[in-house]
Order: sequence, then structure tokens, then C-alpha cells
Amino acid sequence: VRCQLCPPARALQASAALRRVSDEHKKEPAASSSQHQFDSHPTDHHPEQEPQGPRPSYTGQGGQESEDYESEEQLQHRILTAALEFVPEHGWSAEAIAEGAKTLGLSAAAAGMFHNDGSELVLHFVSHCNTKLSEQLEQEQKLVQLGETEKKTTDQFLRDALEARLRMLIPYIEKWPQAISILLLPHNIPSSLSLLTSMIDDIWHYAGDRSTDFNWYTRRAVLTGIYNTTELVMIQDTSPDFEDTWRFLENRVADAVNMDNTAKQVKSTGEALVQGLMGAAVTVSTAARALR
Amino acid sequence: MAAAVCPCRALLGGRRGLLRSLARSARGLAASKETHFGFQVVSEEEKGEKVYQVFENVAKKYDIMNDSMSLGIHRVWKDVLLRKMNPSPGTLLLDVAGGTGDIAFRFINYVRSVRERQLRQKLKHHQNLSWQEITDSYQEEAVKPLGDSQVVVCDINKEMLKVGRQKAQQLGYSEGLSWVVGNAEELPFGDEKFDVYTIAFGIRNVTHIDLALQEAYRVLKPGGRFLCLEFSQVNNPLLSRLYDLYSFQIIPVLGEIIAGDWKSYQYLVESIRRFPPQEEFKAMIEDAGFLKVDYQNLTSGIVAIHSGFKL
Repeated sequence: VRCQLCPPARALQASAALRRVSDEHKKEPAASSSQHQFDSHPTDHHPEQEPQGPRPSYTGQGGQESEDYESEEQLQHRILTAALEFVPEHGWSAEAIAEGAKTLGLSAAAAGMFHNDGSELVLHFVSHCNTKLSEQLEQEQKLVQLGETEKKTTDQFLRDALEARLRMLIPYIEKWPQAISILLLPHNIPSSLSLLTSMIDDIWHYAGDRSTDFNWYTRRAVLTGIYNTTELVMIQDTSPDFEDTWRFLENRVADAVNMDNTAKQVKSTGEALVQGLMGAAVTVSTAARALR
Repeated sequence: MAAAVCPCRALLGGRRGLLRSLARSARGLAASKETHFGFQVVSEEEKGEKVYQVFENVAKKYDIMNDSMSLGIHRVWKDVLLRKMNPSPGTLLLDVAGGTGDIAFRFINYVRSVRERQLRQKLKHHQNLSWQEITDSYQEEAVKPLGDSQVVVCDINKEMLKVGRQKAQQLGYSEGLSWVVGNAEELPFGDEKFDVYTIAFGIRNVTHIDLALQEAYRVLKPGGRFLCLEFSQVNNPLLSRLYDLYSFQIIPVLGEIIAGDWKSYQYLVESIRRFPPQEEFKAMIEDAGFLKVDYQNLTSGIVAIHSGFKL
């Protein structure tokens, strides 16, 4: 009899710990990025668990796991978010995650859920920044659609979007070189690359790029290059409010747009030349025929 | 006539004997359940006693036998366990069935070196330190070398604890250690006291593993971690045959030569075979309420580290 009653009681106790933690941080955004695909929100879920009595023992851990699966992931997100404030002191590491767990009332041993090298913390931060950027761009687009602001030119739009994204690094700029090196670790490259490409894709999408030809690739490659080089400039920039970085960014975006214009010009010049030559050839052949 | 009477009496005697044995078995079933002690079948009370005797006999030669049986690889396994745990200074560890203190000593070493590194980092970051500040930080290192970390070694067997305490004295471990006698199925500690609970090569000797897991859940703080290092099933068939050969032919012989105790080491090897495989044990841990349960095979599954969190 004891065995039958125990697991459901402990199951509820486990969920009680998670619920308790989630009550403290109700403002946490639900889904952070396209990586996670659950659609229901935590606040909807937990009140449903209250009125349920002890579940029959044959449901066992399976039922428990599927209900709390969301909460495990979200608890992890909460811990990582709380850990961010300790990054300036401890760097992107397991110590920062342990401190974050402690602020949530959990034991520091909970940091064992993550890799020892702090990878998850960096990836979480990057994905969080990307989400913030998307939301910002979405807001701006709405304002433009409502007619409240002017539509920006492409180069101005790109500059502003990249500046906004890079400004999010400012609070952690001292430890950012460490973060870059973590993102370049072989086992992190798939995730970091996919985060980078989806961010660049987002920016071009909001910039109004609807190309379906090779331009799609060149545009993204160019912008990725601009972002990476500007990031590297930023981490060694000592000017007030990173003025040098923004100037560098402005120049690079101007270069890229120029290159784009130049390419178009070359193309149209080339086409014009070809047409001219064709015309000349036709003229010559007509004249030759007339002379015969 | 005598011949005619005899079969009757024999029959009656036989039936009485049958009834008696039936009564005995009925009583037996009601009194205690049966469990395994290696490959033997014993009652649950008996198992506890027999295990106690085994470890009482082997306590003094426990470490030497570990080294010779595993060819020293058990040290690597325990180091991997500590690396996985990655404890930070201030962690409270409960090491159950930790008899001779191997895990406890490694924990102390680990925490001490992490603490030293932390203090060094702090010094590096401050550019202009006054002499007072420097002395203060050295004093802090002297006064709190472990940064408030503590380990409680709990074992049911007093002989094993005695050996552990002697080792601690010899090796010079003085602070941050406590030695407590206790049963894994009924720990003498309050709820939610410890950050990490470890049980290395001990849980297969517990009579009711589920009770031990429930106790582990009880004494851990929220966010606490359960770690179990235990022999498990080898997944590679070739290695499995070699391992069986080694276990059943060589280990008991080593036990006889080095420790003078064949039977205890026969029990050891048999109990390893009796322990549930990785996935089954993982399910048992989940049943006790732990989340994010996972395992890592070492040496192709000869041992496995199971880890779970109380969330």
C-alpha cells in the first residue's frame, strides 16, 4: 500500500517544487526561439495540476514526465536567465550557472544539468538576443505599416538592425571574447551557426528582401561577414559608446550597398555592351549583304 | 501383517510430514519475502546480516582488493564521478555506503583546488592591492580552505568506517569530514539537507533499492543531485565474455590469496550480475521522483554513473 501511494505523492511534490519556482518568475517569456516547439504556456498548465487527486500508480512516471517535460525545459531557461547577471563576474561558466541556480532557491548542484563549459549559457543568451531583435524589427515594421514612421532605406535599415543587435552585447562585452571562443568549439558550431544564419535571415526578411535567385545567398553571406567583423571590432573598441564601431559598421554597409549597385551597373553595362555589339554585327552583316 | 501396517504408517507419516512442510512454507511466506544474495536465495533479513558480515570481513583489505581486482581502474572511475559532479565550494555532500572514504577524500581535494583557483582569480583581477588586502586574502585561504564545503560519510558497517577514519588520519584530512553510521534505507538525517548524494559501489548491496532511492530524494535539497556509481551490464559481447571469465575465475582466487576470503568475493561477483541493467535502474530512479535522469557508461558498461536531479 505504501508503494502505491508514494509515487503520486512524490510526483505532486516534484511538480510543487517546479510550480513554486515558476510562481516567483511569472514574467518569463514562454517560448524563447524556434528551437522549442511547445505551444501551451506555463501559467495555463499549472493550475490544472492542482485539482487532480493522486494519480493511479499504473500511470507511473510516464504521465508525470509528459506534464513536467515543459517545466524542466523552462526551469532550465529560468536558471540560465538568472545566471546571466553573474557572467561579468564569473564569465560564461558553470560557476555563473551555479550562482544563477542559487538565486532561484535551488542547490548549486543543479548546474550539473548543463555542460561543464558554459556552452548552454552562451547559446541561451544568443538565442534570447535574436528573439529580442526579431520582436524589435516586428514592432518597427508595424509602425511603418501604420504610417507612423518613414520606411528606411536599405542601408540605414541594415545599420540600425545590426547596431541594435550588437548593443545587446554591451553589458557582457568584457567576457564576450570568451563567449565567441565557446561558440567556435566544434560541438557548438552547428547550434551557433544555425542561430547566426537565422538572425541574418530575419534581418533581411524585415529589410524587405524577397529575392529568390542567387542574390539570396550573396546578401546573407555579405551581411554575415559584416556582422562578424563588426563584432570583432567592437570587442577591442575603447571609444566612448563604441563610436568607432558604429562608424566601421556604417562604412562596411555602404561598401556592401555600393558593391551591389556596382554589380548592377556592371550587369547593365555588360548587357548594353552586348546589345551594342549585336547591333553592330547586324549592321555589318546587312551592309555586307547589300554590297554583294 | 507387519508389512501391511508399515505402509499405512509410512503413508500417515508421509502425509503428516507433508502437512508440516505445507504449514511451514505458509508461515514462511507470511513472515518474510525472499531476495537474492549473489546467486543464492535468502530471506530479506538474512540478506542484511550476510552483507554486513561480508564487509566486516573484507574491511581491512578492501582498498588493496579494489586495486588488484580492477587493476587500479577504480581510481579512474571515481575521478570521473567527481569530474561529473564538479562541486563548487560550499557544497554539502552525503556519501552513502562510503565506508573507506575514497569519494570523500577526492571531493575534498577537488573543492580545495577549486577554492584555490577562485582566490587566485580574485587576486589577479585587483590591480592595486594594499598589503593589508593581500594578507586578508591569504588568511581567508588559510581559514576557509574548503570554502564551507562538507562531506558526511555514512555507512551501515562500523568496520568500514573505522578503516576510513584511520585512512583520513594517515592522509591528513582533518576538516570538512564527518563519519556517521546509518542505513541507506533509513537515513538518520532531516529532510532537504544535502546538495549532492553519492553512492559508489554500494547500492547493489542494499536490500530494498527503492527505499534507498526514496531516502536519497528525501534528504536532497531542491535542485540537489543524485549520483550513483555502480557495476552494470556490459554491452559489448566479446568484452562481456572476457569479463565473465575474469570475474568468475580470477577474482575469487585473488580474494582467497590476498584477503583469505573466497566466499565474500564470490558474493561480490554474483551480486554484480544480479543488479538491474542501466535502463532498468534509470527507471527505478525516475520512480523515486528524480528528473533529468541519465547514465554514462564507463569502460564499455562495466560500470555506469547514473545521475538524477530533484527539481
